[in-house]
Amino acid sequence: MLKAIHYINQFFGQVGGEDMADYEPEIRTGTVGCTQIFNTLAKDVEVTHTIICGDNFMASRTDEALERILAMLEGKTFDIFIAGPAFNAGRYGAACGQICKAVKEKYGVPVITSMNEENPGVEMFHKDMYIFRGGNRATFMKQDMERLAAFADKIARGGKLLPAPMEGYFPRGIRHEVFLEDIGQKPVMAADRVVDMMIAKLKGEPYQTELPMPALDRVPVAPAVKDLRKVRLALVTSGGIVPRENPDRIQSCSATKWGKYDISALEKGFTAPEYKTIHAGYDPEQADKNPNVVVPLDAIRAYQREGRLGVVDEFFYTTVGTGTTQGEAARMGREIAAVLHERNVEAVVLTAT
Amino acid sequence: MKLEIGKFFVKEMVFGEKTGYSKGVLTINKEEALAVVKEDSHITEAELHIACPGDEIRMVPVKEAIEMRCKVSGGVMFPGVTNPVMPAGQGRTHALKDCSLIVVGKHWGSFQDGLIDMAGPFQRNTIFGSLKNLVLVGDTDEEFERHEQQKKNRALRWAGHRLAEYVGKCVAALEPEEIETWELEPVNRRDASVQGLPSVVYVLQPQTQMEAMGYNTLVYGWDGNHMLPTYMHPNELLDGALISGSFMPVSSKMSTYEHCNNPVVKRLMKEHGKTLNFLGLVMSNLNVAMDQKQRSAYMVAQMAKNLGADGAIVAEEGYGNPDVDYIQTIVELEKVGIKTVGISNECTGRDGGSQPLVALDPAANALVSTGNVSQYFELPPMKTVLGELESMARDGLSGGWEGCVHPDGSLVMENNGMFCSDHISGFSVKTCMDY
Repeated sequence: MLKAIHYINQFFGQVGGEDMADYEPEIRTGTVGCTQIFNTLAKDVEVTHTIICGDNFMASRTDEALERILAMLEGKTFDIFIAGPAFNAGRYGAACGQICKAVKEKYGVPVITSMNEENPGVEMFHKDMYIFRGGNRATFMKQDMERLAAFADKIARGGKLLPAPMEGYFPRGIRHEVFLEDIGQKPVMAADRVVDMMIAKLKGEPYQTELPMPALDRVPVAPAVKDLRKVRLALVTSGGIVPRENPDRIQSCSATKWGKYDISALEKGFTAPEYKTIHAGYDPEQADKNPNVVVPLDAIRAYQREGRLGVVDEFFYTTVGTGTTQGEAARMGREIAAVLHERNVEAVVLTAT
Repeated sequence: MKLEIGKFFVKEMVFGEKTGYSKGVLTINKEEALAVVKEDSHITEAELHIACPGDEIRMVPVKEAIEMRCKVSGGVMFPGVTNPVMPAGQGRTHALKDCSLIVVGKHWGSFQDGLIDMAGPFQRNTIFGSLKNLVLVGDTDEEFERHEQQKKNRALRWAGHRLAEYVGKCVAALEPEEIETWELEPVNRRDASVQGLPSVVYVLQPQTQMEAMGYNTLVYGWDGNHMLPTYMHPNELLDGALISGSFMPVSSKMSTYEHCNNPVVKRLMKEHGKTLNFLGLVMSNLNVAMDQKQRSAYMVAQMAKNLGADGAIVAEEGYGNPDVDYIQTIVELEKVGIKTVGISNECTGRDGGSQPLVALDPAANALVSTGNVSQYFELPPMKTVLGELESMARDGLSGGWEGCVHPDGSLVMENNGMFCSDHISGFSVKTCMDY
């Protein structure tokens, strides 16, 4: 019998609802609330401890929460770590992802969780762990728990891992070849598969490509600005330039936040050390010495003085591009674009690193 | 155009007094056969073996696989290569089935050479593991390429083609056990009932990316690098007009055996008149420079469109750089309104985390995947090795590396070096899936 430790939030830990979302992490021996369901379903794995943590606590004091939980696991014997299911609860999904990732990195045990496909935690963490496809609300508890228990049992028995669509977890961005017979399918020759697929495509019938195209989101290049003196221009960057204190706590990697900071008083460009980079994906030495190498405010100001540029927006907009998922980047891009639109910005200098 | 393939099903292969075939037993006179091999004075050493499914035999470096056949009427075998140029795809061809001829280097391997296991866990990785194989193991005096990673392997490959015809000839005068007839009428002379069906073409992109001559796929003996896309009758392919090249990492290759038995073409011929109107073959190529890639893609799309195709299947012999040709051709076909399906393999890396194709486009929305070139294999030792195992580690075979062969005869390698194992010709019973 393998041992498991299970992470749940304050609600499923029966501590309380939204009013208790700041609940500090704690570890209890045995099962609590929904984790008991796991033990009734799994045959070769047993939950020995339950960790409960408030969703807000994890979201707002992430580093501290992770540190405290990892310390609680110190000295405990466990072979598998389980979190959730988180259904479509955004903060809970992110919390499950964060703790699973941290546990996997520190203790090297298999980590599994479950979320609905709409949960942003899927996009954020699907490459790091097995996230099982779950229901969108708590009424799917038993069903989602069954999948987690079955998979935990499989790990316990050393069973062969099947492809994502067959096991029910979200693809982790990994593709391997398989013999069709090894996954219980008829060994249909590729020649027959390709002709059948073409016949289906010709008839307008459904078919399934064997190599789904990763979603490509190409944005056409905007037409050139005819007269820079007549537009309002803004500076946007994914290079992580922020005021020294990083007031919005933008993450150095896998960012989910962006910031907007007043530059109207910076007449000659950015100054150091008042501004610096928090981007963890490149050597910061030059950018910390002179942040204008990432966001060229010095050159923009010079152009303004020479009368070659019109109005420059009072704010610059910034986030970190490294490790940031396409989904998060697109969301932040939409949010920044909406603000720019509101402020009648017509041209943007977007710098990446 | 009508082609008959007379089939002789080989149940047993033996060496004996007289090369001949009787009641399922193929007998080969070794001496006579080796004399055919040595007609080329560049062959310095040659020997013959038999390797059957279940035999604990490993072959490496394998350079080519050929079906043993002879032409009974209507042309010659391998026109423009081991015989004068003549039209292929008509008349009668006799073929020895359930068997093949495998050409193996006695010592020296090259980038495009591969490995075949006849038993053990990797027997199923190539179709040749389940065929009865006559194995030619030889060496040559081609000193200019002895230590080159890229080899033309000309003397050995040509010896294989001569030998395949020599053995094939033993059934020339016999009555086949089964006759397969392949026939397609000219595209504008078909019954209204056939014309009314969705019309399709098969677009073949054989490997032709070497700018130097002697390495690429040959079409009637002509180097495919010096060719523009052209229209061919499927029978030409089934009757030996194409000779496999000596360039591409081998899991992505189509051997000459596979060209003659291309299962996509055969299936399309079978659907012809029932569900589809098979217009024929657009023989394209794979190129290096972007304008060459574009030129071929535009010409393929134009040809398919004006032949009246509603659908197309594109097959790419290779991966990496030629993915650009593959995807671009699919895109151009879709642009002119032809519903297109692709068949090729992927390169996702040993960890499976890399982008599967070099080029991607949303228009390529119907693809069949036949394998992952970088799948990592651990092979146990095999009793007998035909060729030289060390070649996998020493000679730059695309699936091997220094130190990949262990003293006990076991080895580790990438699928890249498994002979034709992704069977892009259509034989593959593998796919790639998300994990």
